[in-house]
Amino acid sequence: MENTVETQIPPVVSGVFTLPPYDKTAPTMLGGLCKVCGRYYFPKPVYCRTCLEQVELTSVGSEGSIYSYTVIRTKPPLGLPQPYAVGYIDLEETRLRIFCLLDPTAIDQLQVGLPVSLRVGPLGHDGTGASCLRPYFSPRRRN
Amino acid sequence: MGSAAVVGIGFIPFGKHPDKSLIDIGAEALAAALKDSGIRPSQVEAGFFTSALAGRLFGDMTVGQNVFWEAGVNRVPIVNVENACTSGSTAFYLAYNAVVAGQFDLAVVLGAEKMCVPEFGLINSGQTELDTQLGLVAPASFAMRAVRHMIDFGTTPEHLAQVSVKNRRHAQHNSIAQFRQPVTLQEVLAAPMIVDPLTRLMCCPIADGAAAVVVCSPAVARRLGRAVNVEAAILCSGSYENPQNLTHWETDYRGSRMAYEKAGLGPEDLDLVECHDAFTIAEILHYEALGLCKEGEGGRFVAEGHASLGGKTPVNVSGGLLSRGHPVAATGLAQICEVVIQLRDEAGLRQIKNAKIGLAHCMGGDKAGDTKSCTVIVFSR
Repeated sequence: MENTVETQIPPVVSGVFTLPPYDKTAPTMLGGLCKVCGRYYFPKPVYCRTCLEQVELTSVGSEGSIYSYTVIRTKPPLGLPQPYAVGYIDLEETRLRIFCLLDPTAIDQLQVGLPVSLRVGPLGHDGTGASCLRPYFSPRRRN
Repeated sequence: MGSAAVVGIGFIPFGKHPDKSLIDIGAEALAAALKDSGIRPSQVEAGFFTSALAGRLFGDMTVGQNVFWEAGVNRVPIVNVENACTSGSTAFYLAYNAVVAGQFDLAVVLGAEKMCVPEFGLINSGQTELDTQLGLVAPASFAMRAVRHMIDFGTTPEHLAQVSVKNRRHAQHNSIAQFRQPVTLQEVLAAPMIVDPLTRLMCCPIADGAAAVVVCSPAVARRLGRAVNVEAAILCSGSYENPQNLTHWETDYRGSRMAYEKAGLGPEDLDLVECHDAFTIAEILHYEALGLCKEGEGGRFVAEGHASLGGKTPVNVSGGLLSRGHPVAATGLAQICEVVIQLRDEAGLRQIKNAKIGLAHCMGGDKAGDTKSCTVIVFSR
């Protein structure tokens, strides 16, 4: 879905996922890593709760599996599609369990345990009606 | 014998009150509680007020002083509290602690919410929070618990629906409840799907509402009579550790255990429970966290009638949030009112025979797959 237009659309929030253009890299979710104790966080906190040291912004993963999910069929907030789906994803890279949007065009395929990959694209608006980029996990494509 | 007591309750019927302001409904519940306890406004030593949504919906703030004045309470300390769905029970917790500490002999807790306004939409945990910006709405966070509970423990849509059937059956004899018509299993299952697998009749409706509770020291309680003792009042926050187990809600188990330890009681001692059935799966999870049944058995617990009036541990004999509706800051206090009514033996057709120990449980807000707050309060007579 990446194209030059999308590089001009702002993210819904900054510092939570990498921005296009992705060129040869895949989009990835951003969280925190404490360089002292090696603990990962999502989203990034200001301080490590164990060390009270500043936490660095780092990639926490772009591949995972669905731990749980649901489809929201009632009137959606923030200009999201009706229906849209959300879930908790178990990230392979860091073992974090994170909340995220799921691909609204793949609702029929959703199930617990499904392998998914991160994508980023225009989805809904920012609350004022302006288009914005949101991260969403989509069923992993077979190679 | 607890270290503080409830000696008065008051509330308005929950539902739509388009002709009344937040101040009107709050003052009505407050005056009712003062009359119920037989005290004058000048005897109130402190007021704890809560409205979770007044700031967002009406642009109002520090509403407590305005409402307490309308029912004659002035000069004394007044605190405005907000803690999501536990706003009312958190305000109670603060008043209870102040009385136990000897700061006041008598305090009044009041929660009022006006939320039946056009375009209210779905509730979330804070507009600028990341989860909200990524599409999380309150019913979805519970639906994801339901999906996982069904996979882990074999819970079925019928189990989820049985909670609504039971609570609406209970509500028939409760004048505070907004919805008092019983519903059938088929009606609950066939209602429009809101968030898979929760249908509209498995989600609590919104409402305008207000409820108030008078808390006092044991010495004052002996003078006033009709006292219900407070054995323990617990407030805790989530752990927010990652990963969260969506079916074994650690904060829920922890809050329940703390309350039992402090009260010196266990789940087998309870004659009734009022719990936070904002969605049917929530009530099932609370059976398990409160130890009313084993982990994973919550669906079967309700289906077998153990949570019904006349069952092993009646849960939400008031009809719960599913029947009252959920005027956010009034809910925690409405739960306490029901426990007090039952322990006073004043519940009429929904009375639990010889009820001596009751528990009010509430949870509020989402953060990192956990709750923002959990309150558990144990009462005895």
